[in-house]
Parts: sequence; C-alpha cells; structure tokens
Amino acid sequence: MDRRTLLKGMAGAGVLAGTRGFPAPALAQGAAARTLKFVPQANLANFDPIWGTQYVVRNAAALVWDTLYGFDDKLQPQRQMVESEEVTDDGLTWTFKLRQGLKFHDGEPVRAKDAVASLTRWSARDPLGLMLKAIQKELTAVDDRTFKWVLSKPYPKMQLALAKNSTPMAFIMPERIAKTDPFKQIDEYVGSGPMKFVKNEWVPGAKAVFEKNPDYVPRDEPASWLAGGKRMMVDRIEWIIMPDPGTASAALQNGEVDWWENPISDLVPVLRRSRNVAVDIADPLGNIGTFRMNHLHPPFNDVRARRAVLMAMDQEEYMRALVGDDNSLWKPLPGFFTPGTPLYNEEGGEILKGKRDIAGAKKLLAESGYTNQPVTCVVAQDQPITKGQGDVTAELLKRIGMNVDFVATDWGTTGQRRAQKSPPGQGGWAMFHSWHAGSDCINPAVYIAIRAQGDGAWFGWPNVPEVEKEVTAWFDAKNLEEEKAAARRLNKAALDNVVYAPTGFFLTYQAWRKNVAGVGKGPIPFFWGVSKTA
Amino acid sequence: MLGYIVRRILATIPVMGVVALFVFSLLYIAPGDPAAVIAGDQATPADVERIRQSLGLDRPFLVRFGEWFFRILQGDMGTSIFTNLPVWTMIRQRIEPTLSLMIVTLILAIVVAVPMGVVAAWKAGSWIDRLIMAFAVFGFSVPVFVVAYILAYVFALELEWLPVQGYTPLSEGLWPWLENLILPAIALGCVYIALIARITRATMLEVLSQDYIKTARAKGMGQSGILFIHALKNAAVPIVTVIGIGIAFLIGGAIVTESVFVIPGLGRLTIDAILRRDYPVIQGVVLLFSFVYVFVNLAVDVLYTLIDPRIRY
Repeated sequence: MDRRTLLKGMAGAGVLAGTRGFPAPALAQGAAARTLKFVPQANLANFDPIWGTQYVVRNAAALVWDTLYGFDDKLQPQRQMVESEEVTDDGLTWTFKLRQGLKFHDGEPVRAKDAVASLTRWSARDPLGLMLKAIQKELTAVDDRTFKWVLSKPYPKMQLALAKNSTPMAFIMPERIAKTDPFKQIDEYVGSGPMKFVKNEWVPGAKAVFEKNPDYVPRDEPASWLAGGKRMMVDRIEWIIMPDPGTASAALQNGEVDWWENPISDLVPVLRRSRNVAVDIADPLGNIGTFRMNHLHPPFNDVRARRAVLMAMDQEEYMRALVGDDNSLWKPLPGFFTPGTPLYNEEGGEILKGKRDIAGAKKLLAESGYTNQPVTCVVAQDQPITKGQGDVTAELLKRIGMNVDFVATDWGTTGQRRAQKSPPGQGGWAMFHSWHAGSDCINPAVYIAIRAQGDGAWFGWPNVPEVEKEVTAWFDAKNLEEEKAAARRLNKAALDNVVYAPTGFFLTYQAWRKNVAGVGKGPIPFFWGVSKTA
Repeated sequence: MLGYIVRRILATIPVMGVVALFVFSLLYIAPGDPAAVIAGDQATPADVERIRQSLGLDRPFLVRFGEWFFRILQGDMGTSIFTNLPVWTMIRQRIEPTLSLMIVTLILAIVVAVPMGVVAAWKAGSWIDRLIMAFAVFGFSVPVFVVAYILAYVFALELEWLPVQGYTPLSEGLWPWLENLILPAIALGCVYIALIARITRATMLEVLSQDYIKTARAKGMGQSGILFIHALKNAAVPIVTVIGIGIAFLIGGAIVTESVFVIPGLGRLTIDAILRRDYPVIQGVVLLFSFVYVFVNLAVDVLYTLIDPRIRY
C-alpha cells in the first residue's frame, strides 16, 4: 500500500466513523435507551459474593443471583425464590418449596439441590450462616423443588438470615458452582437473577456488563428493595468504573453516563446546577462512622481510657469533616443502631450528648493509668471517610493529653495492620477508623461490629460478656417488644464498655440523568424498575 | 550490527531476572495484605487468616519466589488474586488503550515540540523564543491532572467537542478511537512537549554555531533548508535520546492520565493492583514495563546508527 492509498483509507474511515455531532439513527437511539450506564461506588474486582464480601460485589451479584427471601423497604423478609415454607411446631425443621419456573442463565432449572449446595457454601462464611451450621443436623433436598433444614435448636430468625442484605447474602447458585470451597473464588458466573453477567466484556477496574435475562420470571408483587417482582426495563447495564469523582461528575453532566451511585458531597452543588441531573439521598439507612479501639493493649484495654474518648468526642466535628456544611446529611448518634429502624435507642447515650467534658476526660484518662505512651492511630488516607475522621481524632486525642502516633497509610495496609494482635509498638495498633452501612446495623444478627466475644469479635477484640448476653437475648426474643428491650440493654452495655465509639450517622447522595426514571433509595442500587428515555 | 542487537537482547535476560527478584522482594516486605482487602470490612480475623492460607500467602518467601520465577520462565504470569483471571489476559485487555495513548502522545509531542524547539533556537533571544520557553516552563510545572481537568472542563463540558472519558478501540473506527485520546494525549504530552522543545532548542543552538552552518549560509542556502536539513539532522542524537528516556515519563504519566480520563489501560491496572496488593498483577505489569524500557533503550541505540553513520557498534 502506498502513502496516498493509506491516507485515503484513513480519511474514509474517519468520515464513516465520525458520527458524533450528527443525529443518531432511530435504531441507535433505541439501543441507547435500552442501555443504562452506571458508575458504581468502587471497582468490581472480583465477582464471587461469598468469597469477596465487598458491597460492590454484593450489589452486582444482586443482579445476577437471586435469593430465597429478600428484604423489603420495611426491612421485613419476603419470599423471593421460595413459594412457601413450613416450620414444625418445635421449630426444629424448616421445609422450603421453590417457585415453579425458576431457571438458571444456562437454561437449567433451579433445583432444591442447588439451594442446598448454595446454603452450605454461604453458611461457611456468613456469621448467621455459621450460627445455623452450628445447630444444623441436616440440610437436604427432598425433591426437585423442596428441601429441608433440620436443626438441633429452634432458630426463629431463619427468614431474616436468608433475606438479609448484609454481606455475604445467601445467593442461590447452580450446585456445580456452589460446591466450590467457600475460601476459593468461583470462576463461572451463572445465576437465576434478572440479569446475566457478560464475562467476556468484563475488564476489572474498567467495565462490567450485564444483559437482561429473558427467562426471568418476576414475582407478581410490586418490587420493594430485594423483594417483589424484579422487572428490568433496560436490556443492558454497563458498569463504568470511575476512580476519579471529578471525571464521574463531568461524565454525568455530559450525558456519557446515566447514574452515579456515590457522588462526593463537594461535587453535589455542581451537579444540582446542571439542568439535566437529579440528586437525592442514596440510602435513608445511611452509614455509621466508627472509632475502633484495641481492647487488648494499653491505653484502650482500660475501659476508663475508652470512656475518656467518648466524654471528649464531639460527633459534630467528625460529621462536618465528612459531609461539610450540609446539615441534612448527618445526625448525632448516641447509640449503635441505625436511626429510624425499630431497634434504634439511646440507652446509655448520655456520655455522647451535651457539652464535651475535656477536663473530665483528662481526669479519667489519668485514672486509667495512661503514662503518655504513644497511641498508634492507623488512618487510611485514600478513603475520604477514614481520612476525615482521622484528622479529627488526632486533634481530639491531643486535646485530652494523649501522645498521638499518627500512622498515615492506605486502606490496604490498614486492613493488614488492624488484624495484628501484637502491641502497638510491635506492628500492632491502638485505634483505626472505619464505617458501617446503616443496613448492617439494624439488629445484632447483621451487626458484626457490636459483638464482643473476645478473640472471635471484630478487630479490637472486645470481650464483654454483658454485651453477648444481650445479643443472645435478642436472638431468643419472641416478639418485637422483647427485641427492643434486649436492644436497649445491649446499647447501654456496649456504650458503658465502649465496644467502639460511634462518630455519628451520615448520609450520602446519588445522582442520575433526568431521562432516567425509577431510581429508588436503599442500601443497594436497585436496577429493577429503572427505565431510560433517549 | 545484527550481532550487537542479539548481544543486547541476550543481555536483557539477566537484567529482567534482577528486576524480577527486586519486584518480588519489594512486594514481600511492603506492608498490606490482599487477604484483608478480599475479606471486606465485615470479616472476622479468622476469615482473613483462612483467605491468607488459601492464597498461599502464609508460605515462606523463597518457596513463593521459586514457584513464581519458575512459572515466569514458562511464560505463565500467574492468576490475579482478586479477579481470578490470568494476569496475561488482564494485561492483554489493557495494552491497546495504553499503547494508543502513548503513540498519540508521542506523535503529538514530536510534531509540536521539535518545530517549537527549532523555531526557538532560530529566533533565540526574541519574544518568540521567550514565549516558547515560557510555555516549556509552564508545561514542566503544571501537574498532568490539572491540565487534564482544565481540558475536560473547556473542551468536553463547555464546548462539548470531545468526550470527558472513556476509550473506544481502534477496530470501531479511527475517529471514535481518536476523539477519546485527544484530550488525554494533550494533558499527558504537555510535560513531554516542554522537555523535547527545550532539548531541541539547546542542541540546535549549539549546532547553529558550527562552521558548516555558516558555510551553508554563505553558499546561499535557504533558512528552512539550513534548519531542517543540516542543523536538525545533526542535532537529532540528543533529541532521540530524550524521546527514548521520555517514554519512561509517559508510562508514569499514563497512570494519572488514565485515571482522570477513565482509560482502561495498564496505568490504572497498576494502581488498582497496588491498592489491593494483587501481587501477581503488580509483578506482571512491572516486568512488562521493565521489558519495554529495556527494549526502548535498545531501539534508541540502534536509531543512533541510522541518524549518525559515524556511530558503529
């Protein structure tokens, strides 16, 4: 090929391809309206919702895999893949019957043996699953649509465990996939949910694609969170990973994407000014900021040092660091449960209310025997939520007379370091920050951070039998009133002993193009019912 | 010459071996735990430990290095801890966007910077020279991401001429491919343009003071002929050297540029892998970058002989 031919060819290709600026043909416009471009909160780096328990994996998995039960927007478990269930009078045998017509994406029907294998894998990783496994006598398929779970002890929270949206959720996979070791990743992504995962278009860190499952049979009830009929109004959903919020904001304004899961509050005023973009709260259950202390080593192995932090802590300072001046985005939280949910209470919360008592905190700290040893604060700088809280904490601890050893690091290193039980001077730590989704703090069943069973507890390893006693009381409660009473006692015990220090309750935004309809609020971006016009 | 090239290629093998050992050792002593990242924030310490064991991260350094090195010798870069995809598959998915960005940036930089440097040398001391050098200082000083945001704001959001983000493969057409690369290439190319323009000016100034240039002028040769035929060719060796070295800058700059413009390239793959401590991917990408760098150095050395026939190996 000579130079002239090459140039002609390139120009021709440019003309043919250069359609930007010209109206798209009707067919292309229709295709655009059937494709929803979504910017998720994080990269979909793996796609096994049992092995990897990040929220982003769960959110994608909810498109591909279905569950036996699902939470509705009132946090009540509703039947999803299950048609009916029976429990014997002694509460020891549960029999579940699957709905008719359920099919996996490979065309195979969903059978009871698939549910059995999936629940077996799930129960090896999930805290509630582990509780079930501990009292399990038998989990077997009776026929293609029926399976039974025989227990040695009644478990009244069965439906809640199977419906909950905290990770890992009890997704149902084909038996051959569900038989994978729960500590190893699956490599086949076949579910029975409303969308199929397009593996060959998956570029981790850049893009994930889902296509409508034509065989999906939605329930008749209207969709409500993870319950009801999950009717897809678009044919294709493209997740476009955008690590830079500035770019995501510009892309949304420019119409290059349709929906952004978590715009940072700094950019919300810009988005609100765009006439084509709508902005609203993402999840009314919000998030709880946490100041997690190490109960194994000085100074926070003494409850007086932990209480000194609570006496001096000003939650408004923490929340301002996270959400700025927007008062609609935060609330003080003198307790542990998510505001607006049935178990929320402020029992024992006086220590977090009113004027902060710095002098009292200093006195209590001195009584705890604190001798000016360095307090190792491990603060991830690559997460705005931990960085913002960490800056406030450094000042707070200095104010009450602590010698702050501020370790500025990244989230990956924090994840490793917080697992170290050695003393702070030998690679361990004294405190770190994190946050929990409000939907994970609605009751003790899903609230791993409030547990205080020592070695088996979450990082910090609190050992408070009083707290565990109330957790058990909640599990054994026969009605909501008993549950609430147990939650009140639990809240007080957890605050008196400072299992951890809540830094406040905060909300985040979501934003979408105004040609997109049906965007709801909840702990997961629910795609069913979301439609788009060209 | 052929013997020289073969010797140089063979010499890269021990270099790559040292790089491999260095990369593996660095990652081994670096803090961070992929198991903790995988397990998520709700995991218990026992969960994290089980995942560490299942990934083989609890085994001794030498065992892990030996296994990894043996696999590399067989051309197997391993499997990503996070995605469960082969590292080579992940790299292959990302090569085209990064290569496209680098090529467009390189072309843009050479086409803009070399004439700028030549003109600045020709008009040395004039306002044109000062203007070009002021631009060069600006290009050096302003971070890539600042230029990127300004370009995106002006040309994508305000004027709506170009997209803010994304990448379209070349197979889908020349213009769709190019329109996604124009802004990133300008943002990434600024530093590079400044660097090449400055070195071109300095080298040209030196060459323009040579006797043979005066002879050419005395013989009545036109200005453009003197500048672009006689002077530039003789100034080309240091310029080519800088272009070669600059490819390392491009690799570094591509990481930021790809993040801002959401280009699914190797730069973003590297960042994601580092943040998650995805060791096999980090090792694979660093090895690839090292190989590219060694290869570029070799190409530059070979180019010397074409530009200056006096150079022989």
